[in-house]
Amino acid sequence: MAQSNRSGLGRSEAASGLLLISPTAIYAILLLAAPLATVLIYSVLQGSQGQITWDFSLQNYYEVWTGPVYRAIMLRSLLVAMGVTLVTVLIAYPIAYFVSFHVEPSKKSIWLFLITIPFWTSYLIRVFLWKVILGYNGVINSGLMSIGIIDEPLTWINYNVGALIMTLAHAYAPFAILPIFVSLEKIDRSLLEAGQDLGESKLRTFWRVTLPLSMAGVIAAVMIVFIPTIGDYVTPDLIGGGKLPMIANMMEVQMLKVNDKPLGSAIAVSAMFIVALIALLFLFVNRRFLGVPK
Amino acid sequence: MTTTKPTMIEFRDVHKYYGDYHALRGITASIRAGEFFSLLGPSGCGKTTLLRTIAGFEGISSGAVLLDGKDMSNVPANKRPTNMVFQSYAIFPHLSVEENVGFGLRRDSRSAADKAKAVAEALEMVGLKGYGKRAAHALSGGQRQRVALARALILKPKVLLLDEPLSALDKKMREQMQVELIRLQRQVGITFVLVTHDQEEALVMSDRIAVMFEGEIAQLADPETLYRRPHSRKVADFIGTMNFLPAKILSEAANVVEVEAPGFGRFALDAGQCMGAATGQGASVGFRPETLTILFEGQQPTDRESMATVEEVVYYGDMTYYDVRLDGTEAPVRISMRNVFGRPVLDIKTRTRVAWSPGALVLFR
Repeated sequence: MAQSNRSGLGRSEAASGLLLISPTAIYAILLLAAPLATVLIYSVLQGSQGQITWDFSLQNYYEVWTGPVYRAIMLRSLLVAMGVTLVTVLIAYPIAYFVSFHVEPSKKSIWLFLITIPFWTSYLIRVFLWKVILGYNGVINSGLMSIGIIDEPLTWINYNVGALIMTLAHAYAPFAILPIFVSLEKIDRSLLEAGQDLGESKLRTFWRVTLPLSMAGVIAAVMIVFIPTIGDYVTPDLIGGGKLPMIANMMEVQMLKVNDKPLGSAIAVSAMFIVALIALLFLFVNRRFLGVPK
Repeated sequence: MTTTKPTMIEFRDVHKYYGDYHALRGITASIRAGEFFSLLGPSGCGKTTLLRTIAGFEGISSGAVLLDGKDMSNVPANKRPTNMVFQSYAIFPHLSVEENVGFGLRRDSRSAADKAKAVAEALEMVGLKGYGKRAAHALSGGQRQRVALARALILKPKVLLLDEPLSALDKKMREQMQVELIRLQRQVGITFVLVTHDQEEALVMSDRIAVMFEGEIAQLADPETLYRRPHSRKVADFIGTMNFLPAKILSEAANVVEVEAPGFGRFALDAGQCMGAATGQGASVGFRPETLTILFEGQQPTDRESMATVEEVVYYGDMTYYDVRLDGTEAPVRISMRNVFGRPVLDIKTRTRVAWSPGALVLFR
């Protein structure tokens, strides 16, 4: 009796558990796993002019990994993402440090609130804003021309990798500030006093105590910024003026314009593979700073 | 014995303000070299602030702090010959035990092998031999405390500052660490300055104690003087338990004060038993619970005796606390008696004789 009761309860517990996760599970299967599987399958098929032939081969991958254009664009994507990550973290760290160490505790939340204000505008508008600022007839060019410093619009401020990096760094800065801020907040302030007590200057104490203890936040920030920017698709289009495609733009071209879904899928899977590899590397580095016992 | 030792730390009329808050109100005191000195007081009395002025973490508003004869006002924390054991221990969580202990050796010009040897010796001194490779976050509270001690002592400071180092430990561990700290201090001969709110801890460990209230030193003395001859009711109350009975001063000669107190009758006290200046709160006599003794059948007092009624009995195993009301008094006083085999614990409402001695009383005015 008791036995059957218990197993009956177990069954109903499992059933209610399944019921509870089912909306999420269905969502994840339909909108994440299924499209991913489709892309994976597409990538090993052949296609041209919108036709897909069920002809298994790794031809697409060969093309992606050996084609100089794809390689150049993938490298540019990596370069832009690394540049954006570097700039973002270098800007975000001092801000996070200031808020954590030099802002009164009662005012910290208002500071964080102010930092999130850029999110009140859509990402698209934030990107477009830079086009308005940096563009051929943008704020900087027309401003400089109207006061007579330049005669012709400057071209080196737009349509280049620098402009891409500046735009994306601005768009992602708050994402980087928050994890770094959290990791700095967690540092016991007496550790910094201990560093000085043991004979180190404030700068050295930062180097030997604060920085290593905040690395977990820095690496989180790096991943949060790096992963979305490498696949960014809007900024190269708007700021790069279509002349500086990144890997996502290549996918768009293959998928929609050339209508070669298998090749587009192979680019997507290859890019995913590279990003996953880099993310794993960061994860591995972060284990050290999260203090996982050996 | 200790009086011949030179001064290590000197406070000269030290004041500290936090905005309008007057945290330290004219501290003048000196701590001798090689002394185990405690700053004792309730929370908010300024004891930790005073300790931090020695370390250099806290500036002072006026006055001077001298360390080994040198004014420290322009010396930053990292250049002072002091090291601190923090209340939270402040063990670097990202470093191993030996990296923690060796943290302060970076500027040391010794070879890596010599430094490693120094770290191993420091760990052995605090009883953590062989723990060097452990991750710091895997240590227990007592072990962290030892790492913090080794990390500070390896730098051979002139003064070791301890900010409530034992408050996070359980009772057994605390008592063990008290003994170990005393042993360590004797072994290394460094001046120890301990901050604590635990009067028992201060009494057990210190050569001298400064009792602080509201930013001022109320009394600075060795533990026995502090316990037996507290300067004020407040100090008496903070250190251990003291009973007070209202008293009347009958006559006052140069060396002898004639006093009358209900329950005790008339007795004479010498000038050394009359503590502090008059406070205007009226006179009272004070005595510790163990200075009164309940007399059992057939026992004779060594000095004087009074009659009393037992009102409350608290049994502690080795001790029994009796709250007794002396005849002619209104409030009960506490007596502590060591429990002796074959002698019963008295019941409530028992009439009993109590032995006492005028020599154990102190008079507050």
